[in-house]
Amino acid sequence: MKRFLLASLVLAVLSMPVLAGRVALILDVGGRGDLSFNDMGFKGTEEACADFGWEMVEIQSATSADYLPNIRNAARTGKFDLIICVGFLLADALSEVAPEFPNQKFAIIDAVVSHPNVLSIVFEEQEGSALVGALAGMLAAEYGYPYVGVVLGIEIPVLYHFEGGYRFGIDWGLKKYEEVTGKKADVGLLWVYTGTFSDIAKGKAAAEAQLEQGAVAVYNVAGPLGIGILEAVTAKLAKEGREAGPPFMIGVDANQDWMGDGNKVVASMMKRVDVGCYTAIKMVHEGTFQGGVLSLGLKNKGVAISRYQDLLDFIDFGIKAGAITEADRERIIENWKAMREAIPQWIWQAVDELEVKILSGEIVVPKPETREEMLAVRAEYPLTR
Amino acid sequence: MSWLWRGFRPILESVLAGLIGLGAGALIMRAWGYHPWSAYVVLFKESFGSGYGLASALANATPLILTALTFAIGARAGLFIIGAEGMMYMGAMGAVALSLFKLPAGIHALLALLCAAAAGILWGLIPALLRAYRGVHEVISTIMFNWLSHFLAFYLVANVLVDPVRAEKTLSVAKTSRLPLLMRGTDLSLGIVVAGFFALLLYVFLWHTVIGYEARAAGANPHAARYGGVSPQKTVLLVFALGGAVAGLAGAVEVMGRPPTYAVYSGLTNIAGFGFDGIGVAMIGRIHPLGIIPAAVFYGGLQAGARLMQMEAGVPFEMVRAVQGAIVLALALPELTRILKVFGRRLKVRREQA
Repeated sequence: MKRFLLASLVLAVLSMPVLAGRVALILDVGGRGDLSFNDMGFKGTEEACADFGWEMVEIQSATSADYLPNIRNAARTGKFDLIICVGFLLADALSEVAPEFPNQKFAIIDAVVSHPNVLSIVFEEQEGSALVGALAGMLAAEYGYPYVGVVLGIEIPVLYHFEGGYRFGIDWGLKKYEEVTGKKADVGLLWVYTGTFSDIAKGKAAAEAQLEQGAVAVYNVAGPLGIGILEAVTAKLAKEGREAGPPFMIGVDANQDWMGDGNKVVASMMKRVDVGCYTAIKMVHEGTFQGGVLSLGLKNKGVAISRYQDLLDFIDFGIKAGAITEADRERIIENWKAMREAIPQWIWQAVDELEVKILSGEIVVPKPETREEMLAVRAEYPLTR
Repeated sequence: MSWLWRGFRPILESVLAGLIGLGAGALIMRAWGYHPWSAYVVLFKESFGSGYGLASALANATPLILTALTFAIGARAGLFIIGAEGMMYMGAMGAVALSLFKLPAGIHALLALLCAAAAGILWGLIPALLRAYRGVHEVISTIMFNWLSHFLAFYLVANVLVDPVRAEKTLSVAKTSRLPLLMRGTDLSLGIVVAGFFALLLYVFLWHTVIGYEARAAGANPHAARYGGVSPQKTVLLVFALGGAVAGLAGAVEVMGRPPTYAVYSGLTNIAGFGFDGIGVAMIGRIHPLGIIPAAVFYGGLQAGARLMQMEAGVPFEMVRAVQGAIVLALALPELTRILKVFGRRLKVRREQA
């Protein structure tokens, strides 16, 4: 065995292609292991490195005071063809460092940093959130639940996109329900900003409160807090003596449908951070990199509602992360199919219809950028009972 | 010669402990298949081997010197003040709050520092009074006050001092109230001078004033001190006030002196931990105000170099932290055992009396 390992190591070294480039991946305090935002950034970077023969160095931050020195250190080494900053929290630090190293190429996910050497990759989260909102609204009406829920992280402008889109989608879904069934739906929205992207216990407590009041689904807009939300959903189901939802969780960023055995996360609003990172590396590799804003929406697969193929991809992701094993694969797929098939077909068709209308530009989902704009959207779609 | 030995023994112990810690860290890395030698070369080259590294080490040391002073002065007076963390949050809040006012440069920064120190003192007042007049143990009360401070600061960051267009942070400290950078393109600000000054001040206080002598006497032997006419109440209040002031300043120098944001992030992610790290630094510095300075710079250097260990030596973050932990723990051990010994002896005396 040992000799075999050694031989394969030697072979691997010998067959290693010439290094085409090096990328530094700088993460915020959330760090790896969230099965979501940061892990997605890692996934996309890893895939690009495999495809283009690049090498990745991953840099985690212990506190947010580390952002600036981490970025500056990476630039100082001069060893990286591209430095990717994963997360808007690194924006201030990058604004400081980017002009100090005008020849260093940078990319930042989820924020706009206006320097000629920075590619800013942002997402149209409101479009995907509208789709899962419509789904949640229709589910609540169909199953007779009084509420839909959402647990958000820190109240920041990026999250306004999610909240605004979700509100719009729920409203659209409830109208659709009335149109299809001719019945009036009385469904409200339970929403809370927990003020954290890391305190999983808070996510669980917030989700428990919403489920107790009768939320049909809790949308996770707080990255790692989804682990707590899923625990709350699982506990609620166990109390009712069932395994499959409703109530459900709605996943975020990554495809989280595979979590909870495949029958508790009804869908995920995928924000393809991996596509963003992959694209940035591809651009540098092909020599097409230039500073500016790259916006990824439904149109260019930057955001999407999860489908079957995504489930398959992300089961691999989960196995790789060690969250599940190969033995779970078949069961998760079966559970997931059963969960989705139990939901009336017209609901899925309605979600598709909304997607087509957003893609064609017939429907424009509100995209609040500031607190004032958010308040206006909240006033327009209050969703109280 | 015994005085020479007394002075050198702690240094010798620390050096030995540091080597043991480095060895333990190397073993950890070795066991997981990383190359300790190249990792340590990067660690020390990037922390103390370059101007930029040294500036980073000093910048990291700035708040730690101050929070370590809080623990050290307490420990010297026989108090275990674990509350620097909470006092430091309040200091940071105070410094940010003062930015709401428009004042001329210089005076503005000075007032912000004063405000932060006052906030730290106020935060220590209740545990101090409880200890002085009701005998409530300060370990319990200051830990509880850390949590109170944590959630109060959470609230203040999200609701009162929040930046209306950037909800993930507080308002940034006004330009007139920032501590200038000592070196362009680094994080090193005038804060290090403030920290060094207070370390010196507390050294003079403890070893060259009557009242400081009384405080140390109360720490060394509370019964003898009381017999000698030292008021334990006065000592407790004074020590808490000084400790609160420097801890408050720790929060202030960080938000007023650390680029780029000059603000407190939601979740306190850019200031959380300095208070607790300060306890470790105080131990490494043998709870001596002057020993704390090199201890904090070393600790800050470890943090600065650790960043590059990920980048240049490919050692993953979790491993870097484990190695850091091993080194810090080893360095803190001599003082920790001494403190525990004193503590145990006192418990024994108390039991025999009972």
